[in-house]
Amino acid sequence: MKYVKLPKENLDAFVENLKTHGKVYGPVKIGEYYSFQEINNSKEMSLEYSRTMIPPKKFFLKLKERLFTFNEEKGEYKETLEEEKIVVFGIHPCDINALKLMDKIYIDETPDKYYKMRRENAVIVGYGCHPDEYCFCHSLGTNYAADGFDLFLHELKDGFFVRVGSDKGNAIVSEISELIKDVEGSDIEEFRAAERKREKEYTLELNIRGITDMLALAYESEVWKEYADKCFGCGSCNLVCPTCRCYDVVDNVNLNLKSGERLRRLDSCMLRKHGLVAGGLNFRPTRIERLRNRFNCKGSLREDTLNCVGCGRCTVYCPSQIDYVEVLKKVRGEL
Amino acid sequence: MMENVLLPKLAKIVKSEKMTAIERFLQVEVLDKKFAEVFDYQPGQFIEVSIMGVGEAPISTCSIRTKKGVIDLCVRNVGRVTNAIHHLNIGSLIGIRGPYGNGFPMEEMEGSNLLLVAGGLGVAPLRSVLQYALKNRAKYKDITVFYGIRTYDTMLFRDEFYNLLAEGDKLGCKFYLSYEDSKDKQCISLEAEHSERCMCGVVTKLFERIKLSPEDTYAIICGPPIMYRFVVQELTKKQVPPEKIYMTLERRMKCGIGKCGHCIIGDGTSIKYVCKDGPVFTYWDALHTKGMI
Amino acid sequence: MILNLEDELLDLLSNLDVKSFIMASSAHEETDLDVAFVEGSVSTEEGLERLKDIRKRSKILIAIGDCAVWGCVQAMRNQEMSMKERMRKVYDKEENFYDVLEPKGLSAYVDVDLEIPGCPIDKIEFLNAVLSLLHGDLPEVKDYPVCVECKLNEYQCLLVEKGMPCLGPIIVAGCNALCPGLGVDCIGCRGPIRDETNAAEELNVLKEKGYDEKYIKNRLKFFGANFGEIAKLSKMLEKKQPGKGGK
Repeated sequence: MKYVKLPKENLDAFVENLKTHGKVYGPVKIGEYYSFQEINNSKEMSLEYSRTMIPPKKFFLKLKERLFTFNEEKGEYKETLEEEKIVVFGIHPCDINALKLMDKIYIDETPDKYYKMRRENAVIVGYGCHPDEYCFCHSLGTNYAADGFDLFLHELKDGFFVRVGSDKGNAIVSEISELIKDVEGSDIEEFRAAERKREKEYTLELNIRGITDMLALAYESEVWKEYADKCFGCGSCNLVCPTCRCYDVVDNVNLNLKSGERLRRLDSCMLRKHGLVAGGLNFRPTRIERLRNRFNCKGSLREDTLNCVGCGRCTVYCPSQIDYVEVLKKVRGEL
Repeated sequence: MMENVLLPKLAKIVKSEKMTAIERFLQVEVLDKKFAEVFDYQPGQFIEVSIMGVGEAPISTCSIRTKKGVIDLCVRNVGRVTNAIHHLNIGSLIGIRGPYGNGFPMEEMEGSNLLLVAGGLGVAPLRSVLQYALKNRAKYKDITVFYGIRTYDTMLFRDEFYNLLAEGDKLGCKFYLSYEDSKDKQCISLEAEHSERCMCGVVTKLFERIKLSPEDTYAIICGPPIMYRFVVQELTKKQVPPEKIYMTLERRMKCGIGKCGHCIIGDGTSIKYVCKDGPVFTYWDALHTKGMI
Repeated sequence: MILNLEDELLDLLSNLDVKSFIMASSAHEETDLDVAFVEGSVSTEEGLERLKDIRKRSKILIAIGDCAVWGCVQAMRNQEMSMKERMRKVYDKEENFYDVLEPKGLSAYVDVDLEIPGCPIDKIEFLNAVLSLLHGDLPEVKDYPVCVECKLNEYQCLLVEKGMPCLGPIIVAGCNALCPGLGVDCIGCRGPIRDETNAAEELNVLKEKGYDEKYIKNRLKFFGANFGEIAKLSKMLEKKQPGKGGK
């Protein structure tokens, strides 16, 4: 890894340079919540943000999008995907690790062109964070991004300790050589101390050892019924999750009845239709099965990684305050 | 330029025949010549059929490839997409993606007896297994087919299976038929004609008629969800090991490539996408993956 | 709302042979129909007979608007008092002069092929439904809550972040979360999700946020009084209130 230092006063000039690499998006406070929005300068961002409601996954697997258009008369399916360069500034380690999980599915196996192209066209600038009472990323080992970014900024008193994570990141750093400095011993010590301190800030703990077995063994447990009674089946947990990847598609016909478009939107396994097959048979007819399925999916292994990065969004944004960590503690019999 | 796997390829309906009140046989041919060259599929695989303005549905192939670029489908009218398919004429254009799924391990099963157990529409994917095995007859030992229907009217590929019932042994397989409606006149007369091979009852009753050698037999099951448990029970009674019982599952395989998540099943220790990890699974998979059957 | 489809209306009508649309045209023909769009709740014997007649004449019957789907606000006091009591309260006589029925949606009486909910309906949803029908099939029904559309539009969660009494989690989507997008909490004009909505939890959540039971009950019943679970909840609350005197 290459390390450089960006003095605080140069942040704006740095963002200015990033604009030459695409539209720059950063965490912005809107009312009571945070959202990744297009920004013009660093002051528009709230870099001290806890978490955005919608994770940065939205830049790659869009919340809703058109997949293609069709025309019956011409007999054609036409791709409408357009390339756009973007820079996503200020992504937290959990969300970077979540994107790595998404990449495994959307790039490594039968690549999804939409997702892959957008990933290739994006610059990822990570940003160090401090946990709040909902964060349990340290339990999952996702509280630190070892890779998966182009640049990663850790705040120091008078600047940022920058990790350069890719060729793309290095190219940017070389362009702004006049804005950056070499790291000094004191910077390294400050970075190390900050990381040590951060480790101690976590208050929420989730024991994930053997979680796959614990979930399988709790398959018939009463815990699912207990929480299904509270659950609305509204899908918020899935839609705010940085690792949920289910989607649904729908065709719309134009007024001429001959042409139209196929749309894709994020879906949720908590919605009734998710397990429904043509003919009316539903493999997950009640919220009990759906809730159980969601937790089993999150708690299953994919190449030794769980499908959860501990960002806390599903707990924060659950309208009936179902606590993800609490459910899993009950699954283990800890509560 | 990277391939867009979600973009369907155009295909033309070249045959469309009504088989029962709710099932049609379709033969479709892909338009693109280059794609036709490489378009091949294995028994047990499926394709996604797109109807513009309506949507997409997974349909399994019901035959082996006989001609480049051509695929046979048996479509039951159960939903929006399949209803639209039923209303298409010969010459109509549809979109297809695929083939997807793992298919049956035809090579692994070489040198063994095959027992195919089909219920209702489940006979469609097993027909491709049967065609494959008969085409490669020397590679397999005995081939036995159980086909369970409700009534004569619901029987698919009637002429073909009638032929197997009457002459199957000459053609290389023992074909057994069971029917559930004890008052069905046509079935009763079939039974009278072929009492050895046709009987009234659920498909598992046919097990009374055969001697099964568990050490060298693979069972292949496809039918309505309720059927699996009962058939597996019989096979287990007869000592067929779980890893030699293959079944193909139906779920909402919307994307076909393990992304959209609708066909997901299982528990923390074993999560499967039916479209990508299946749709063919062994009974052993079902034993350690909750919610499979 | 249908007539508000100014840009699309002419194209749409050129594909349709309208036999009766009283709000738009005086031409009116009682004949067999491919599709009947029916508005309004069933609230009189006369209306019910008319509905049954339309059902008989139509291949596809579509209920549009919350009145036709759930009975809407006029059903708000359903289950609370008998028709006799209501007559006495309003007309001071127990006799049911107008053959009035408890207002209900169409599906309480006849088979309904599709419901387009909302008060008012969403014109784009209506348009897409008609286009689907013209294209040869029934549109796909939305049976997920407004929360989904809020998240897909990245609208702030008014319930979680602002503690507003939003009914989004139990109300069927299709409005593209119009109100929450404008910062207005969902009042449930599209009605609950049939056979799915967890109304009891909405009561719990709003109580926890400090709203009193009577307020919540009225809010739930405003558009959803005929939804089984809401009816059950409101009965339970009524029994409770006289004893405890409410909050």
